[in-house]
Amino acid sequence: MRSLKRHDASDIFIHWFNAACWLLLLLSGLGLIKNERLNPLGAWLPDALRALFGGGSAGGAVLLVLHEVVGVLWVLGFLAYLAVNARGAKYFLKEIFSVRPGDLSWLVRKMGRMTVGPLLGGRGELPPQGYYNMGQKAFAQASVAGGLAIVLSGAVLLLSDKLLPAAATPLIGWAVTLHYLAVGLVFAGLLVHIYMAAISPEEKPGFRSMFTGSVPEDYARHHHGLWVEALGKDDPGSK
Amino acid sequence: MSDSETKRISRRDFLRLAGASATAVAATAVGAATAPEAKAAPAATAPKWESRLSVCDMCFNRCGLIARVERGVITKLDPNPKFTKSRGMLCARGNAGVAQVYDPDRVKTPLLRVGKRGEGKWKAISWDEAIELAASRMQDIAAKYTRCGMLFSAGADMQSGFVSRFAEAFGSFNVTSHESLCLLSGNRAFVDTFGDVPLPDVKNSKYVILAGANRLEALVTPDSMDLVSSMGNGAKVVVLDPRYTKSAALASEWHPIRPGTDMAFMLACAHVIITEKLYDATYMAERTSGLDKLSAHVADLTPEWAEGETGIPAADIRRMARELAAAAPASMVYPGRRTSDYENSTQIRRSFAIVNALLGNYDRPGGLVPARPAGLKKVAFEPPWYDDSPPGRVDAKSVPLLFDDEGSFVLTREAVIKGAPYPIKGWFVYKTNPMATAPERRKTREMIDQLDFMVVVDIAMSDTAWMADLVLPAPSAMERQDPVQALQSGAEGACLVWRDPVIPPLYESRPVFDILKALAGKLGLAEFFDFDIPAYRLKQLAAFPEAAEILKRDGVFYPPNPPLGGTDGQPFKTPSQKIELFCSRYADMGLDPLPVYQPPKASPDAARKFRLVVGRSACITQGSSTNNPLLSEFEPENLLWLNEDAARELGVRQGDVVQVESPAGKGELKALVTPKIRRDTVYMLSGFGSISGGLTHTRGVGASIVELMESRFDSICGNSAIHETFLSVKKKGAA
Amino acid sequence: MSTQKLAMVIDSAKCIDCKGCMAACKQANGVSRGVWRNWIKEAMPPLENGPAGSKKLGHGHFQPGACMHCDEPSCIQACPTGATYKSAADGTVVIDPKLCIGCGNCIKACPYGARFRDPVKRIADKCNYCPERRAAGLAPACVDTCPTKARVFGDINDPGSDAAKLLAANQGRVVRVIAKQKDTRPNMYYLASTAPDGWAVQPVDPLSFDFLTAFVAPVVKWAVGLSGLGVLAMLGRQLLAGAGGAHGPGGSADGADKDAKEDHHA
Repeated sequence: MRSLKRHDASDIFIHWFNAACWLLLLLSGLGLIKNERLNPLGAWLPDALRALFGGGSAGGAVLLVLHEVVGVLWVLGFLAYLAVNARGAKYFLKEIFSVRPGDLSWLVRKMGRMTVGPLLGGRGELPPQGYYNMGQKAFAQASVAGGLAIVLSGAVLLLSDKLLPAAATPLIGWAVTLHYLAVGLVFAGLLVHIYMAAISPEEKPGFRSMFTGSVPEDYARHHHGLWVEALGKDDPGSK
Repeated sequence: MSDSETKRISRRDFLRLAGASATAVAATAVGAATAPEAKAAPAATAPKWESRLSVCDMCFNRCGLIARVERGVITKLDPNPKFTKSRGMLCARGNAGVAQVYDPDRVKTPLLRVGKRGEGKWKAISWDEAIELAASRMQDIAAKYTRCGMLFSAGADMQSGFVSRFAEAFGSFNVTSHESLCLLSGNRAFVDTFGDVPLPDVKNSKYVILAGANRLEALVTPDSMDLVSSMGNGAKVVVLDPRYTKSAALASEWHPIRPGTDMAFMLACAHVIITEKLYDATYMAERTSGLDKLSAHVADLTPEWAEGETGIPAADIRRMARELAAAAPASMVYPGRRTSDYENSTQIRRSFAIVNALLGNYDRPGGLVPARPAGLKKVAFEPPWYDDSPPGRVDAKSVPLLFDDEGSFVLTREAVIKGAPYPIKGWFVYKTNPMATAPERRKTREMIDQLDFMVVVDIAMSDTAWMADLVLPAPSAMERQDPVQALQSGAEGACLVWRDPVIPPLYESRPVFDILKALAGKLGLAEFFDFDIPAYRLKQLAAFPEAAEILKRDGVFYPPNPPLGGTDGQPFKTPSQKIELFCSRYADMGLDPLPVYQPPKASPDAARKFRLVVGRSACITQGSSTNNPLLSEFEPENLLWLNEDAARELGVRQGDVVQVESPAGKGELKALVTPKIRRDTVYMLSGFGSISGGLTHTRGVGASIVELMESRFDSICGNSAIHETFLSVKKKGAA
Repeated sequence: MSTQKLAMVIDSAKCIDCKGCMAACKQANGVSRGVWRNWIKEAMPPLENGPAGSKKLGHGHFQPGACMHCDEPSCIQACPTGATYKSAADGTVVIDPKLCIGCGNCIKACPYGARFRDPVKRIADKCNYCPERRAAGLAPACVDTCPTKARVFGDINDPGSDAAKLLAANQGRVVRVIAKQKDTRPNMYYLASTAPDGWAVQPVDPLSFDFLTAFVAPVVKWAVGLSGLGVLAMLGRQLLAGAGGAHGPGGSADGADKDAKEDHHA
């Protein structure tokens, strides 16, 4: 069985770099939200996270520094990726934003099958998918758009006590709102991504490819038929 | 319709609080629906500061303070709780002492004028050059114009005594201070009545009449604080002021008296007290002279008559006189401090002194008490004799009863301008600012034009320094070591303070003592400055060997304070050896021995309708602190207080810029349209409209009050008279 | 456990509006130009009948104030990070400058205008009862410096403190200034009476925060909830289906993969 190269070293790095940063940012971020009207899970969560660093608002202050530092590193990481693999980045963006006819139907039926079953998702063949299936594309779109929103609002929040005058406080308030919304929505998608990528047995070869960089050919043919087709038109084994 | 209210705490709430059961209050705090954070704030650490004792310099009160110094920088000045005269406080200006030390506008090096006088072009020179130059110029003036050709002016400062010493050693009789722009009339009147200048014992007083003295803004320790606590204890304070000042606002009673009519009020009070026999007859017979003459003098000066002059209802005047007498001897007409108002200001204060005498309150709790001997020893010296000296001060004999050691600044200035009776060509100025505090600023400029040499020693480039030939940087009081000064605190008697440096001098500043010592060296007068401050202090404290240690430890020393009443049976220091209701000295000199009321003069010019009065804010000190970075936030500019009705007639609205003019000069400033002043009166703060380029906050800001004030003086002692000016006011841009 | 309840008891009749407290606070706490941690309000005096039918200004009143360290602070409800909170140890409402991000939500949430965004520090600031001075055994700067000692500060949970004694001696004669529809239970007690009245305002949240709490937060909760439910359903199917193939019951296309898989094992 042939293996097809799907991701190169920089892709693999940026994926896990992104995941690690996101996890740290999410945890530190949850530790930063402490308001009765906002606490996503209750006051115990920020309290517990803050307790890791001394507790109270002092612990929160450490979390804030962590959050800001990791946030900046996260952005720098992406800028580095763009510098090193601009071509890959372009390909990625092109793929995730190309929605073909039949993609949405694939998505709805796939989701239905995986949750409720054929009752909701029907039977029979699903339309072939490209490099990324529609589920992956939807999550990627959300990640990119959400990520941008998070970074832009995050930049405002980073600079709020360092540069911005009092007249900018409405902007800062909206940055908090946007930051919360974007993180929340991407996180909702993240739950599905983690299941699909790491827990669902169906995608195991895909999960492995985030380490090895390659997928088995038959797996690729079944899951990303259009991609393999396009490959066949070029040199075999190249992207 | 108000959005909020003051809510009286319900009994249940109150018991929960004041019942002080820990659980009950905790329950209130935690059980509420919006439970606050159940976590303690991180414990703060005490600042790592060193605490050093000193004494404030932002006004003449000299409140004891504790300076907090962190890594060589003063970060805060706190009250010294052992300094009881201040009642444990440090006012806004005291707190701004830090801002004064670190003011970027401070003069940093000796500066020599290179352009024209007042142009503001300076060259930094070395101290050696500066001393050499000053000494040689003073030498020149002494040679050409005798030693009295040098005028020395020093402000209220703990080293000003050294300026007088230098002047004496140098051989000049011409020494002035701020006092002849301020308090001399009151001193004159009380000295000529009681033989000394007594102090009010406000703390124990039951009834105080404040005529003009805006004590709750023109802070005097302990009087200002004691007025508030006395009122809290049921004492009555009556304020007579054409302005609704903060003293007026908080007094038991306020009357918007017509400016210049205080004497009428006082004489009518005397009338009531005498005709209704509300005085202690034995006391009056034994301790006062002239009661019969006074009686005749005030026979027709009824409260009804006084109502016509003052605008205060006769019934109120009569009632207040009776209340005053009923509370006697623990009652007083507050003597006040600044008495530089009218050309008969001394006689006005004579009427104050007379009413006090009628109350029998001398050396009694709640009355006027003699200054306590502080016990400081004078460090005397034999001044040299100079054969060519003129007979006396240049302003001698200009008025009948000049204080010889004070003279009169405005009359000295006239003499300098005229060059008669003899020329004065040099001026040494220390820490006083006549360009901002002497009336008729153009005359001060004219005076300066006559001079060959003018040197100013000051911490900031004041308007006076701006006009000098040589400016020498003085350190702040926090950087100085100073001799002992005695302060008086009403019935609590005297206390002694001194200063040791809290931080080393900044920039190239040098205390005036060092400057005078160096000059003395160059002028062959070294023997009169052959000591240092520590040695001088020990001589001052010769009567109290323990004082030095106590001063180092506590920042203040209290000499033994004899109880009140010690002067009973002792003669007064007057010609008759009694309290002189009828002033024999005045009679001998052809002056009115009893104060004769003259109605205040009307404005000579119909276009100038508004009498300008002078006053204070608790946040600044006359001309010297308006540029302070902290204080300028409280008083960023001066405003012309204009009565609402008068403003309406002039078409002036709140905040409009108005143009004001008098025969002395003109100015522009924003109007404060207010019901708090009479229709016929206007008011503005001093210390604005500065000309000096070294005053970032006040240059060109607001109007200069001294530019507008005409220069008049009291006919008896030469004290400045600055309430005699009428202004025209019109809206800027109006026809 | 004894907790402190630090409070200010003020006899505003003694206040002479000398601004000493404002100067001391600004100097002690490095407050920037243009903003103030404390204030003195002046009541407009009443107009009374004067002589000859004229009107005369009556008694005046000055009212020192600052953050009132309320028991139910409306400001802490507006803070997204909990940088401002009420300390359980001493009852003060604290701002942790290291955690405050300067969003400004809390500024208008105070009925007394006690909070401001410092133009230099760029974070929220207000009276904090001078904790560093207290640690050094000193009173807050404003209390220490006052000429008439109008401000009395202390732990009103401690019956021996000056503040508690003053309250006890003035039972039934103590008032607080509150906003009409919102009593945040301020801990600044004025003896007898005080003026001006009617200046406290309703606390206001910025629109961005209202939107966040009322709309965004529930939407996010729903999105995450639904997503989580979906994941649980998928997981459930996966576990229940056992080792029955990656794709579960499906069509022939799916079946073809099984062959591919077996080929792989071959």
